[in-house]
Amino acid sequence: MSRRAVVTGLGFITSIGNDRATVTESLRTLRSGIETIEFLKNPAITVKVAGTIKEFVTESPSWRDWRYPERYDFPREALRSIPPHGLYAMCATEQALLDAGLQRSDLTDGTTGLYCASAGSPSLTHLHVQQMHATRGERGNPMSVVAAIAGTLNFNLAARYGIRGAVSGFVAACASSSHALGCALDDIRLGRQTRMLIVGGEDLNAESVLGFAAMRALSTNPTAAQASRPFDRERDGFVVSGGATCLILEELETARRRGAPIYAELAGWGQAADGYNVAVSHPEGLGLADAIQRALADAQVKPCDIDYVSAHATSTATGDRSEALAIKSVFSPSGSRPTISSTKGITGHPLSMAGVMEAAFCSIALRDGFIPGNKNLVVADEACDGLNLAQETMETAPTVILNNTSGFGGSNVCHVLRRFPAE
Amino acid sequence: MEQPLSSTPPSSASTAASTLVRHFPVEVRDAFDRFRAGRSPADADIVVLAVVNDHMPNKVAGATATPIDPTRLIEDLGFDSIAITEMVFFLEDLFQVRIANEEILRVRTVGELRSFLREKLGASAPTSRA
Repeated sequence: MSRRAVVTGLGFITSIGNDRATVTESLRTLRSGIETIEFLKNPAITVKVAGTIKEFVTESPSWRDWRYPERYDFPREALRSIPPHGLYAMCATEQALLDAGLQRSDLTDGTTGLYCASAGSPSLTHLHVQQMHATRGERGNPMSVVAAIAGTLNFNLAARYGIRGAVSGFVAACASSSHALGCALDDIRLGRQTRMLIVGGEDLNAESVLGFAAMRALSTNPTAAQASRPFDRERDGFVVSGGATCLILEELETARRRGAPIYAELAGWGQAADGYNVAVSHPEGLGLADAIQRALADAQVKPCDIDYVSAHATSTATGDRSEALAIKSVFSPSGSRPTISSTKGITGHPLSMAGVMEAAFCSIALRDGFIPGNKNLVVADEACDGLNLAQETMETAPTVILNNTSGFGGSNVCHVLRRFPAE
Repeated sequence: MEQPLSSTPPSSASTAASTLVRHFPVEVRDAFDRFRAGRSPADADIVVLAVVNDHMPNKVAGATATPIDPTRLIEDLGFDSIAITEMVFFLEDLFQVRIANEEILRVRTVGELRSFLREKLGASAPTSRA
């Protein structure tokens, strides 16, 4: 595989920060982005916390009522057809382009593509369906489809940035943006594209959160800073977050020629499914273990080359256990013990955007030389026996990172990122 | 995205319409109130021009700041078909009228839109839900 791909730009609207510097500081200090929240003004709802998005007010379905930082200036045509996470995504993309030293005019010649992931906007869908029923189907908002369905990010961002290469969206629940990133790498390797924007985003409101409460998958711990506790024995479910992340992936020689800043190399990826359950992960982590093996093979690295595993672990009883067992099954036979942590202890779980957000975190960790700790890990689950879990952030520079992601239906996707230059 | 309250029941249609113009300048909101009280075409014109201005996608360089009658919605103001659809949806909610596709397809300029709505609103005035 002669063509290589590197990360050259990052943008964040996340619970732990709305720019790279703030996100980096939060990762280093394990500053939590999780806050107390009351959904639907109903104190009886058992979910009391979420990974909130600061500086943005997007409760209203009308973009006219939204408030966001003045440093962003969007025309009407960019705002008219987006959900809240579309706004977050545009802000993250603006940051990433600036970070990568790219102009909008650099994106329009067909060599740049865009892969996105989101669940769409449940709140806007609800509103539009309600309006449709109220008029017995006679009237509907003209933006009801493009602003609300899964795909809204790729529709809107491709139009705004004039992107004429590969444009698509990925729908695999919490693994979605990891598929987007992996397929983007393939497109660059195959010579189909020289640059890809990968964007994940999610709303954060009652409609995006409470469906998971109905599944009894969410933490009911009311103490915001302690509710998300991946791998900890006292974990009781995940904490939902939202926001957006944009990661720019470029063919190495193209990036070099234009003097782009390079965070890290995306060296490989792999995916495999559990074939087991619609929502619950395989009890032994079978699919995830296969995905890890495939990612390592694709990147041509051995288990002993991995010095940090950025875990998907969301703080659920079943999922974290499955992941611990999957990691063991891959690494223990060779006796390698990479450092492991999940950043969801501070971010919460941003669903579709988790994979690209955490790949972006890994890129920062590789460039800046640290390993984020695992917030709220006090006593590890017994399934983690023998694993090298990092409670605190370590000022140790990783060289090769494995980034795990899992989603409903048993989709598992893993990336391997390498420090660049390697030595 | 903008959300005209199309599902609002008739009893609260007046409140809903006021909500729709909440972001317009005070002189436009006043004109809207006067229109609802007196059905003056001149007041309707003020509101319609504000709605046109408000739905311009801000894409075409040199787009006219204050639309005048001969100004073409698509060629001069940069409207695309979805912006026209959005504006029609807004006007329907605001004035509590129904506008058919074949009607709006005949409208090409700001002046034609004004004339069309004057006629439409005159016809619907006695039974308006507002």
